[in-house]
Amino acid sequence: MDSRVFTYIADAEKLVISEAETARYLGYSREGIAAAGNETLILAAIEKTRRLTAGKGCYGRYEVSYPEEGTVLLPWGEVRSRDLYRNLFPCPEIYVFAATIGAAFDRELKRLAYVSMAEAALLQAAGASAVEAVCDALNEKLERMAEAEGKRLRRRFSPGYGDLSLENQKGVFSLLTPARFIGLSLMDSLVMSPEKSVTAIIGIEDGTV
Amino acid sequence: MDVLEKAKRGYLFFDGGCGTILQAAGLKAGELPERWNLEHSEVIEKLHYEYLCAGADILKTNTFGANSLKFPDEGELRSLIEGAFSNARRACERAGGERYVALDIGPLGKLLKPLGDLDFEDAYKIFKKTVDIGVDCGADLILVETMNDIYEAKAAVLAAKESGLRVFLTTAYDESGKLLTGADPRTVVAVAEGLGVDAVGINCSLGPDEMMGVVDGLCEYASVPVIVNPNAGLPRSEGGRTVYDVTPEKFAASMKIIAGKGARILGGCCGTTPAHIEKMREAVLGTEPKPLCEKEHTLISSYTHAVEFGRKCILIGERINPTGKKRFKEALRAGDMDYILGQGLEQADKGADVLDVNVGLPEIDEVRMMEETVTQLQAVCDLPLQIDTTDPAAMEKALRRYNGKPMINSVNGKEEVMAQVFPLAKKYGGLVVALTIDEDGIPETAEKRLEIARKIYERAEAYGIKKKDIIIDPLAMSISAQPDSGNITLRSLRLIHEELGGLTSLGVSNISFGLPKRELVNAAFFSMAMENGLSAAIMNPSSMEMMKSYKCYNALHGMDENCAEYIAFADTVSDAPVQAAAGEKKEKPSGAVQVEKEELRPLAEAVVRGLKDRAGGNGLARELLEMGLEPVEIIDGALIPALDAVGKGFEKGTMFLPQLLMSAEAAAAAFDVIKDWLKSSGAGQEIKGRMVLATVKGDVHDIGKNIVKVLLENYGYEVIDLGKDVEPELIVETAMKEGIKLVGLSALMTTTVPAMEETIKLLHERYPECSTVVGGAVMTPEYAKMIKADRYCKDAMDTVRFAEEFFKS
Repeated sequence: MDSRVFTYIADAEKLVISEAETARYLGYSREGIAAAGNETLILAAIEKTRRLTAGKGCYGRYEVSYPEEGTVLLPWGEVRSRDLYRNLFPCPEIYVFAATIGAAFDRELKRLAYVSMAEAALLQAAGASAVEAVCDALNEKLERMAEAEGKRLRRRFSPGYGDLSLENQKGVFSLLTPARFIGLSLMDSLVMSPEKSVTAIIGIEDGTV
Repeated sequence: MDVLEKAKRGYLFFDGGCGTILQAAGLKAGELPERWNLEHSEVIEKLHYEYLCAGADILKTNTFGANSLKFPDEGELRSLIEGAFSNARRACERAGGERYVALDIGPLGKLLKPLGDLDFEDAYKIFKKTVDIGVDCGADLILVETMNDIYEAKAAVLAAKESGLRVFLTTAYDESGKLLTGADPRTVVAVAEGLGVDAVGINCSLGPDEMMGVVDGLCEYASVPVIVNPNAGLPRSEGGRTVYDVTPEKFAASMKIIAGKGARILGGCCGTTPAHIEKMREAVLGTEPKPLCEKEHTLISSYTHAVEFGRKCILIGERINPTGKKRFKEALRAGDMDYILGQGLEQADKGADVLDVNVGLPEIDEVRMMEETVTQLQAVCDLPLQIDTTDPAAMEKALRRYNGKPMINSVNGKEEVMAQVFPLAKKYGGLVVALTIDEDGIPETAEKRLEIARKIYERAEAYGIKKKDIIIDPLAMSISAQPDSGNITLRSLRLIHEELGGLTSLGVSNISFGLPKRELVNAAFFSMAMENGLSAAIMNPSSMEMMKSYKCYNALHGMDENCAEYIAFADTVSDAPVQAAAGEKKEKPSGAVQVEKEELRPLAEAVVRGLKDRAGGNGLARELLEMGLEPVEIIDGALIPALDAVGKGFEKGTMFLPQLLMSAEAAAAAFDVIKDWLKSSGAGQEIKGRMVLATVKGDVHDIGKNIVKVLLENYGYEVIDLGKDVEPELIVETAMKEGIKLVGLSALMTTTVPAMEETIKLLHERYPECSTVVGGAVMTPEYAKMIKADRYCKDAMDTVRFAEEFFKS
């Protein structure tokens, strides 16, 4: 195992799974959330998701360079992406992370699809919020680590955002081997399993906060 | 000396970590360490040599990731593994003494289906290739390590076992003491020993101190030697360097405690060094190893948990079985997996511990059906299964594919049957149900049934199957045919329990065949059987009478702490009024539904509010039918207007997706009642149109498609659901074969839009009279036009509206 990759375990109790975000994934309007019954439904889905969530991440810190404008030399090779370039340049280093809420959630979602699609739809939305919450928590930890060195972080950027092709998932997975650390794997279709998972690149900027 | 023999005589030491040391020697991030076997063979050999000097008995070859997934070029794969062995052998020659070289096999980095996309058989083949090369290189044993999915471990162990070499298995547990896919140590031991591994244990992820709980679990359940290879603590980053906190001294002290718990094959993983191994060896060798002993736990398991026999009676749900069930037979013939899985999930919900799976019908391909049912059931339900078939091919397929250690139903006292089933049980593992029948039929006395049981135990032992892995079924026969049969069965139970100390199982409900109100007899007999030592019952967990017997029995025998389970159960027995499914608030009539007759209003309201139990089951739909209303009146007068009201609310943005779906489910429950009513009166339900739905090739997100399906079915359309990740050919072929006029396709990811386009293109080429409707998160009307779909629908309701329009014209 690559000992330059570190594991992060999220505290399920402290995860902030957003109600508004969950509602948004369900296509609710602001007023919709307040309508009769909806709030209870969403809160119940969030609580269930919390019970099913084993939030974990793994991350590493790597050097990065910029051979020319619009091109970034990542640990897995040269990548042309204006959006990533804009996001990272001129950071000399990056964090790369992968995070997931785990397989138990996927199993319950599959089961619910046979039992109640309504519950499945609710859980699906809460799960999407939950993985964001895990990413936020991990992001915060990385931020604190950077701050301790007098550095700061750019916004996280994921393969598939803007013009950064999803193909980069392969690079992320060969670099971090997240299957070993957090049980996360990449399918040939470039979809991740467990489903509620995120990978991201974060620029580490020199200079004071 | 054989490595296992040596482990049985005393401690045996593995080497320690490799990755950390190679990284310090210059291995780059993302670089494959196996290449160093050839490029830097001196570094690898030196590392091995240092471990041997530190006192390691077993070397792990540097082949953790040496598989054809990472090295598709077979020539390269072979030379890397050969290099690994020559490095290790050279080190052994230099160090001298009796040393072993283990072919090291790590996980593939991909999740197996149904969680991921790697097929079990493909995983097996990949492992098999590595094993074959390792055997050619003269491996002394095989170590399958760092597995965090028991299913992948099973594929690797099966491949490894075929080499005839000793196979050790270590898995990686997380901080909660489970594998990442959910199994606890007891479950891992059940599966590993079932597959015949020679030693089982834990490695990686944690330091020795964090492993104590897992080691306790392993030592409590494992009869084979236990292996412990921890990390030197948890890594942290210090100024860009990776640091492990556990020093060789601390490591040695912790490993001494671990040895005291009963582990006897000890070594290290990430962050450990030759110094760790040396100190550990010094510390441990001064102690006497705890003796190995056979653990008498009878375990079966799924992929998440084990079920132990011999305490409370184990409930085995009998409903997945076509015998005497017309509806189930129909589902099997039609390949209606939803129905079959529904039967499983319902029994799980009612408290079954295990599900029996019998899908045999003369007119279907049982091998395929069995495989499919087991695989799909395990995707949605985490109960262990009992594989129930008389077809040896179906049995083998199911046992191979099964994720865990199953029950095997069944063998009996006939030599021919034992010769068929026992080798399979030996290879794949399982708790074998053994019926007390032999060549002469079913004996009429308990003593003779006991004799057959005794013979079965003996024959099983000859095949290497332990007594604890056999459960005897002394057969319940109907008391209506033979008045004494209840007594004979009960006496058999007692004799097997008391004289042989064996476990027993019964198909309880056979006792009442031919009698009225069978449940009453079954329940009474069930209590009597438990009193006579019954360990497991094949029964219907939805039967209230049976569950009453079971809960009361446990409470009365002090097997239900504080009667908690009984009290919880009693709660469900009271005649509570129908509970509202959504929101506890007392709601006023929504007034949103226009109904022609006032008596239809409660049903329409129930559908609008999504009250499934109130609308269906024994609720309002049934009441209306019993009042004499025509089915069509109920559908057109209540259900459709209610669905329309909710649909309109959804379109206007006043109602939301979960509500829409809950209404759909309530309506579906009412439809089911009406359908049954129509069936019993011989009439059929009108179908408005037939559609094929599929999530396209490469896409595994199917929740949106499933929502569309629920709504379409509600509105009276028949949906052929091809599932997700569907090949274009299959979609086109199905549409042609079934004469479908409208195909619905969904895609969630931009990367799978081309697959959608390809499907539409193929459909246009081969079946131009068929139309397409597309949807999904990435779809837009523009995209839809670009890929030449006939229609884009923005959501499920929109699709229903389009279908109404389409099938009218």
